[in-house]
Amino acid sequence: MGMGLKGGAVQRRYFCRLFGSGGLYLAATFAANRLLDRDAPLSVANVAIALLPGLAVLGMIWAIARLYIEIQDEYLRMLEVRKAMFATALTLAICSVWGILEMFTTVPELPLFWVFPIWCFGLGFGGLWNKLTLGDAGCA
Amino acid sequence: MKNRLRVLRAERGWSQQDLATRLEVSRQSVNAVETGKYDPSLPLAFRIAALFGMAIEDIFLWEESQ
Repeated sequence: MGMGLKGGAVQRRYFCRLFGSGGLYLAATFAANRLLDRDAPLSVANVAIALLPGLAVLGMIWAIARLYIEIQDEYLRMLEVRKAMFATALTLAICSVWGILEMFTTVPELPLFWVFPIWCFGLGFGGLWNKLTLGDAGCA
Repeated sequence: MKNRLRVLRAERGWSQQDLATRLEVSRQSVNAVETGKYDPSLPLAFRIAALFGMAIEDIFLWEESQ
């Protein structure tokens, strides 16, 4: 999908950053899973190992932020921002409503771990919303 | 907001991609502006006007009902 004269490079950098951080996330999660029990004692080493996947998530968030900053094409940037707004609304809705259900009923707990994946799913639905309302999904 | 972009582009025999390249934007942007799905920012409107050698208000048409 064309993005203007410099858009292809922006898109390539975005996917490199995103998939780089994503790969790091998978490796760090695998390592933490192998090295730590679910009830590992609170020590500097254990916390450091458990934080590694979190750092990789920060890398993915940074990649998304850089995309919004680097897109020069204002229409494509608007599409991406609309996707992020849709994803944020969906995440807030799911987490808030589920949280209230947790408070008053015996539904299973939704671990905070799922907040970022839910938001990422929301980006996909945001792209669909863009496609249905404007005819273009976005550029990433 | 209505505009005359499609007519002006056709008069010059440019495709949407030709115009996009000249404006340094994506083809999707040109299509979105032409079809009225997206109103360009003031800087982009000025670039479009400069490219066609016209005033902004000769390309983009404001209607009171908007």
